[in-house]
Amino acid sequence: MKILVAMSGGVDSSVVAGLLKSQGHEVIGVTMKLWEGANGEMPETGCCTASDSEDARKVAAKLDIPYYVMDYTESFSEDVVDNFVGMYAKGLTPNPCVECNRSVKFDHFITQAKKLKCEKVATGHYAKIIKNKNEYELHKADYLDKDQSYVLHMLTGDKLEYIDFPLGTISKPEVRQIAAELGLKTAFKKDSQDICFVGKKDYRNFVNIRIDISSSGEIVDKKGNKVGDHKGIHEFTVGQRKGLPGGQGQARYVTKIDVASKKVHIGEKKDLLVTNFLLQDVSFVNDIETNNLAVQTRYNSEDLPCTVREVIEGELEVILDTPTYGVAPGQFGVIYQGTKVIGGGRISSKVLEKTE
Amino acid sequence: MKKSEYLYLDHAATTPMREIAIKAFIDAEHEGFANSSGGHNLSRKAKNILEQSRETIAAIFNVAPNEIIFTSGGTEADNWSIKSLFNKNIDADSNLVTTNIEHEAVLASAQWIKDNDYNVTFSACLESGELDKSSFLNAINKNTIIASAMRANNETGIIQPIKELSNDVQKKNPSTLFHSDVVQAVVSDKIDFHKEGIQSAAISAHKIGGPKGVGAMFLSSEIKLPSMFHGGKQELERRAGTVNVAGIASFASALQEQQNNFDDEIMIMNKEKEEFEKIVKDNFKAKVIGESEKRLPHISNIQFEKVNSEVLMVDLDLNGLGVSRGSACASGAQKPSHVLKAMGVSKDFINNHLRFSFGWSTDLGDGKKAAKILLDSLEKIT
Repeated sequence: MKILVAMSGGVDSSVVAGLLKSQGHEVIGVTMKLWEGANGEMPETGCCTASDSEDARKVAAKLDIPYYVMDYTESFSEDVVDNFVGMYAKGLTPNPCVECNRSVKFDHFITQAKKLKCEKVATGHYAKIIKNKNEYELHKADYLDKDQSYVLHMLTGDKLEYIDFPLGTISKPEVRQIAAELGLKTAFKKDSQDICFVGKKDYRNFVNIRIDISSSGEIVDKKGNKVGDHKGIHEFTVGQRKGLPGGQGQARYVTKIDVASKKVHIGEKKDLLVTNFLLQDVSFVNDIETNNLAVQTRYNSEDLPCTVREVIEGELEVILDTPTYGVAPGQFGVIYQGTKVIGGGRISSKVLEKTE
Repeated sequence: MKKSEYLYLDHAATTPMREIAIKAFIDAEHEGFANSSGGHNLSRKAKNILEQSRETIAAIFNVAPNEIIFTSGGTEADNWSIKSLFNKNIDADSNLVTTNIEHEAVLASAQWIKDNDYNVTFSACLESGELDKSSFLNAINKNTIIASAMRANNETGIIQPIKELSNDVQKKNPSTLFHSDVVQAVVSDKIDFHKEGIQSAAISAHKIGGPKGVGAMFLSSEIKLPSMFHGGKQELERRAGTVNVAGIASFASALQEQQNNFDDEIMIMNKEKEEFEKIVKDNFKAKVIGESEKRLPHISNIQFEKVNSEVLMVDLDLNGLGVSRGSACASGAQKPSHVLKAMGVSKDFINNHLRFSFGWSTDLGDGKKAAKILLDSLEKIT
């Protein structure tokens, strides 16, 4: 089979290319160049550095497969970076990796693969695709520590048909071992955890230089009394504890961010408890399911048993069996039935307000 | 795909070494391995090979042997000419004039001067791909130390009016040094530096079938430039570093071979290029850049209507045709060309170009073969 493999320069995608090649497939490696500086320079940290694509190139050379770097910077800048900045400006907590998978990576990649007459695309994500009768289902990886089905929830069955996640049944230590056996130099490379275009720097600086920060305002307590001032709502996310005034002895948290009045509301931890919330821009992998559901509200977080109710098309209300902390508007809620991903959407700030 | 079946049309990037140049390298390394600056018999052999090579190259460009200084390539020569005069001894209002279609070696050197707070003009280019002479000349004033314009563009092949330009620059400011990057022009055009009013020039060996990492700077005998490298007194104290005698011998041999076969080689490049362009235009909505301009016979830059050339280039490679798209950035991604941007090619079309470049090893029939692979790919991806 002719397969287009996304190679980031990390160990996971290196092993994917190696495994597929050793299985006899015709493998073509591609690094998606997502981000660059103002003068076209490569980022120094994060996942899109020049040394990463250099690593990918070396792995491709070692495996003797064709390899290309493709420029995705334009759509990444519009769909991911502008969105990331805009979300903070609206008091939301963005998840750029999901945005990227949703708007940039897979769509472009599958389109290019089809043009090049490749039958599949493959990536180094930890997730499983299972064909059940005529449907392609998305499942958690066997190796749950690394499961990435959360960030892939927007992949619908018709896309999954073209995708292969060869690491779905393999553990990370096994991946490193295979890399070492294949003699790939990325075998012991550290995993990248940073947001690729921000790197190790404070994301606030990144946001600050890109938007007009005129959203300074008041910090208020539960009763609406002013307890301090802030320099801009983009510096806060719901659930944040650092950098808040007052509350001698008692921890304070951001409980709500009101974009219209520019007020940052703070309260106690119990004020963050949420039982039901709304998901917007919802997509389903195949069809909606209603039984035995659970939701993850952050990447690789706990499965919270829940029920769901479709409010209107594209909007889903999630009702948790037990209230929980840490539901941040802007992040994604992903609905599972056992290991199977049903779908997901962006957590809205709308219903959170109602539940108070 | 076996390598032998691969059709290479990226000769403007680099071209295979000529057999005679490989042999010259090996012979020179056998006979003249010694340090050409040494004081013994073996050094004299190396020195002899070096000076013979210099004479060969000088004669081809109709210049004096002491006007040829060997470098590591075109980039070094461009950096040297453009940067070395901008040192702490000059007036703060000294300036540099160049064009916005130069090779990166010139553009980035000029940018470095600009970053050091000197006035630098990147003069415009006409829609035709020719540099805008009046905008270039307007920027020349009494403080212009260097004017730099390429002899022919490496992405479009369009030949620039250097003789007229250097003449006009000279009239406006006789003390301005006129530099020209002739790296691509040397591949398929004959150049007489003095007649064209070029006072310094960057030449590269690997573009004409010599080795990589070797080049020459032509520097008119009336010009003195501060050294870029500090070290030994090689090349008449102008360029420090043990001289790459074998590389230079190989360079001279490649250049001589090119001159000996010049008309035949150009005839084939031209014929194949024209055949290629005709077949492509007859069968696809495509535009040849600079078609009615004076162009180097080995470069064909084509705009394909509504085709993203990034994917096209990948598909061509997978089907055995190697071409190029613009300049490669650090990641290896190929960015749309700054030259096309300078020519006013709009955002909607700038991603639709590929450069096909022919070379000395191009065979009769290659143009037709390339056109077939290209048309097959176009049919597949559109």
